[in-house]
Amino acid sequence: MSDRDPIVEGPLPPAALDDPHLQPLAKNPGRTEGIAALSMIVGFLGFLGFGFTYWINASTQWLALTLGIGMLGLGAGVIAWGKYLMPQGPFVEERHDFHSTEPERKAMTAVITERGGMVIKRRKLLTGLFAAGSAVMGVVLLFPLIRSLGPKPAKSEQTFGTTDNSLYTTNWRQGSLVTTVDGRQVRVDDLQTGGVLTVFPRGHEGASADQVILIRLAELGPNDPPYQIEAPGKTEWGVQGYVAYSKLCTHLGCPVGLYQQQTQQLVCPCHQSIFNVNAGCVPEFGPAARPLPMLPITVDSQGRLRANGTFNEAVGPGFWERP
Amino acid sequence: MTADRIRRSLGARLAAPAALVGAVALTGLVVFGTGTAQAETTTTAGSTSAYEGPVTTSTNLAGGTTRTTPTTSATSLTTPTAYGAGTNAVAQPAVATALPSAEAAARYEAPSNQDGLYYRDLPDAYIAPGQALYASNCASCHGTQANGKEGVAPNLLGLGAGTVDFWVSTGRMPLANTSAQATRKPPRFNRTQTLQIAAYVQSLTPGQGTKVPVVNTASADLEAGGELFTLNCAACHTISGAGDMLAQGAYAPSLHLATSTQIVEAIRSGPGNMPHFGPGNIPDTEARDIAAYVVKVLQHPQDSGGYGLGGIGPVGEGFVGLLIGVGALMAICFWIGDRS
Amino acid sequence: MIDKSLRWIDDRLGIAKGGRTFLDKIFPDHWSFMLGEIALYSFILLLATGVFLSLYYVPSAHEIVYHGTYVPLQGQRVSEAYASSVSLSFDVRTGLLMRQAHHWAADIFLGSIAVHMARVFFTGAFRKPREFNWLVGVSMLILGIVNGFLGYSLPDDLVSGTGIRIAFSIIESIPVVGSYLGFFLFGGNYPGSGVIIPRFFTIHVLIVPALIVGLLAAHLGLLVKQKHTQFPGKGRTEKNVVGTPMFPTFIAKTTGFLFMSTAVTFLLGGFAQINPVWQFGQYQPYQISYAVQPDWYMGWLDGALRIMPSWEWVGWGHTLPLMVFLPAVVFPGLIFTILMAWPFIETAWTKDREYHNLLDRPRDRPKRTAAGAAMLTLLLMVFFASSTDVLANFFQLPLEAVLWFFRFVVPLSPIVAYYLTYKICVEMREAGEDVGERKRALVVKRTAEGEYITEPSLPRPGDGHVELDAIPLPTFIDTAGPELATPGGVRRVIR
Repeated sequence: MSDRDPIVEGPLPPAALDDPHLQPLAKNPGRTEGIAALSMIVGFLGFLGFGFTYWINASTQWLALTLGIGMLGLGAGVIAWGKYLMPQGPFVEERHDFHSTEPERKAMTAVITERGGMVIKRRKLLTGLFAAGSAVMGVVLLFPLIRSLGPKPAKSEQTFGTTDNSLYTTNWRQGSLVTTVDGRQVRVDDLQTGGVLTVFPRGHEGASADQVILIRLAELGPNDPPYQIEAPGKTEWGVQGYVAYSKLCTHLGCPVGLYQQQTQQLVCPCHQSIFNVNAGCVPEFGPAARPLPMLPITVDSQGRLRANGTFNEAVGPGFWERP
Repeated sequence: MTADRIRRSLGARLAAPAALVGAVALTGLVVFGTGTAQAETTTTAGSTSAYEGPVTTSTNLAGGTTRTTPTTSATSLTTPTAYGAGTNAVAQPAVATALPSAEAAARYEAPSNQDGLYYRDLPDAYIAPGQALYASNCASCHGTQANGKEGVAPNLLGLGAGTVDFWVSTGRMPLANTSAQATRKPPRFNRTQTLQIAAYVQSLTPGQGTKVPVVNTASADLEAGGELFTLNCAACHTISGAGDMLAQGAYAPSLHLATSTQIVEAIRSGPGNMPHFGPGNIPDTEARDIAAYVVKVLQHPQDSGGYGLGGIGPVGEGFVGLLIGVGALMAICFWIGDRS
Repeated sequence: MIDKSLRWIDDRLGIAKGGRTFLDKIFPDHWSFMLGEIALYSFILLLATGVFLSLYYVPSAHEIVYHGTYVPLQGQRVSEAYASSVSLSFDVRTGLLMRQAHHWAADIFLGSIAVHMARVFFTGAFRKPREFNWLVGVSMLILGIVNGFLGYSLPDDLVSGTGIRIAFSIIESIPVVGSYLGFFLFGGNYPGSGVIIPRFFTIHVLIVPALIVGLLAAHLGLLVKQKHTQFPGKGRTEKNVVGTPMFPTFIAKTTGFLFMSTAVTFLLGGFAQINPVWQFGQYQPYQISYAVQPDWYMGWLDGALRIMPSWEWVGWGHTLPLMVFLPAVVFPGLIFTILMAWPFIETAWTKDREYHNLLDRPRDRPKRTAAGAAMLTLLLMVFFASSTDVLANFFQLPLEAVLWFFRFVVPLSPIVAYYLTYKICVEMREAGEDVGERKRALVVKRTAEGEYITEPSLPRPGDGHVELDAIPLPTFIDTAGPELATPGGVRRVIR
């Protein structure tokens, strides 16, 4: 249709109703309309069904099915209407240059550099003061925005007290009673060889940083002697075959709860770091780089397990201030 | 008018399909029920019958235990917040115990003690037939004295009848493949034969090891079982009980076929790489609660939201979301848009 | 009637000129141009279902005893956040459907963004003048991933709690400021002073959605101002745009597509169970389940964490957990920086400063296509690496072997992908020009002698179709007699 003007302001001459650009794509529009109508009726029924299923409080599946059918039916009908029965053209539209003309650009620059520059150059004191004031405001407004959110981490491992503001300390102390999460005190004969239990210092059951995995090391066979702890320098930290390690993974702090008693390994369920229990929980595989910190334990005269000191390093994942 | 003609002919053409759609929808509602489908009863009886022989000490056949989940229809409008704020009262799960059938009652003694669990001594009459079964099926690896063979098979002395029952009743023994971790398969022996073998091995070291437990999950505390399962078991077996791969080719098996007896036996005996959980660690009551949670909840998860996708979490969900969700929508794009 | 109301409005708002221009806008038609609409409609659905959920969800870590309808939880001490998540699933009509549809919509939202972005990338639609829109799009992708993670965390169940724990540790790994940031965000050492759930809630429902809405408006506004790109073809030039009009054709199709997207999401929401939090139980910091993964769009970060060697730098009284900081902070930072900078990298490389409104076929830009394929392959492989345990269990392979496999495959696969893609593109380009032509399938046939031959398939309907020359969109249409009116077509006429 090259005889038409390519683009004009205002209305174009009217198109003829039989213009091929206005014709539906469908070969048989009547039939297509029928199909689209059928689809919309299915959608209509679907929505009615949704109302009904909601009314009778049907299951999630019925609600989804009716709603889905309603939307599929109505949507498919509208799409078919648009695709097969509405004018497909093709129509063309010119792209205008949307960038400004050269004089307009120059004028904009001039406004900033000349009108603005003039004002700034004449009143350097005010400019400087306003800039300084804004900068100070920007900085001090960050204080309530960030600093109010929480406490600062405590500076060193000398900090005692609550663990809420320290990455270095836990609630384990010399003589802390070893208890289960529901407050039961653990006695020396509670675990069988190859047994495992998550324990806390008494009074802090369930505290994240205090979780310790208590293992009674497995025997190689039922009649063999108990296994010896081979952690270098820590051979006396266990008692009667029991060893205790921090349950926080040194990779990302997940609870290392997965104990394989035959291979003597602890596996972290999150990223599959594997620790060798016999060798002092040194990492054997996976992304963890440090051993799980070991907790020295002992047995008191009544047969209860107690902490014999505390961790000699920060538990959990690494952080910048960690020595 | 053309439009009128089309409308009229459409009416005629659409009447039949519309009626059909309506009829199908109504039939579906009637057949599948409505929201009350969520209030399905979870029945433990016979759920693992493929693995149960004629004699069992598990309550899976002992009591037709029925758990009823209150329907949402009953509570949604009357109690908008059904959980109480700040109260310490611990509600007992709505577990109703149906009377065991006469046959079941005659055959199995469900424990009536408060623990819901006791350990049973096998009859001496089992020992002789057990010895015969052992000699023909087990002795080639574990030795005629059941003291094992170095590098081939472990010593069975002192393990107890419960341990033997676990390995044989789950089909793990006799072993199919000596190189890998024993896998669950249909057991070779029926219930009586299994217990006979167990009785024979137990008779070699009387009083030692794990006995065969009798578990009554009817009065179990599912909430406590769930907490204990999460704390002690989910780290390996996953929260849905589907199991997963561990280090050095070992794996935590799926719990979806385990019976309550087998679960307690596994807790007590620590098969393979599984830790041992003695009564000082997990008391009998808690062992029963865990077993009940596995057989009643994990083996019959309430998948109110549709197909459970294998219970493996976001891995499965991601594939469905991308392949089915985004895939279907891309196909629709392909229909709507031009393709050249 | 229409005339009268329009006059009334136009007297007050002056919308007739702009409004008509808007309704006359021409949209090029290609199926791949609709991929971004999936994201748009998923986002609308996210807002709608999200509003519903926010009416029932309680963003509080306060501990209560659960007494709801789900029996195995009755009597457990849970947080209000968790209790309300379970309660809105079971005790609120359509609550579970809305919750699951919300979650599926999030998965689909980010998936469709990825697909849409790949289309824009491989066809060069990000080139001048559309660099800003590319930046806006990448920003929305990042915000979408962040918000997905926050929303995933809100139910306070065992799986999501593990994710929050990992997030804290990742923040902790940042040198110098890490522990401070973590303490400020969580109100103390992990698990903090009970503030993380309400804070995540505010960010999830207010801050990030507001940012996305703003960026979305900018994204669409720029699209309207700059007009859509188009593929080369008959009559299509850099100076025009050929297609169908906004009203009525495009509106009809896109409205239908809105319904379809919603339908697919709700059908998934009712038939594919997602995140059944009632089965997971309340999060406790000392409890964990194996096989916990983040949602798929975070999977590539989790995979990178898994395959990282155990490097931790210790010295001068400091610790730098490289095995966390590199894969979880530096790696995504690098990926997003490259994505953001790509239009400028490419300009610097090609020295091309021209406007581009016609799209490239991927094969015609083999280096860009190969680079994109390499990046996609890399991300796909680290994504798969996030399920090492599940894959190992599924294929019954040792965990260690699967991990080592990915440690090799992740760095090698992008190189292989680059090389192969480049070769394929060059070969396809040499195969000849057939722009805009419909492809004919080859049929393998067995002759009577038993010989196999290939021949082109029979012409399909429309194969001989020749596209009309494009005309400017007519505003007025002559009403001829009713006998010429085509059923269902344009018939109504304003004189």
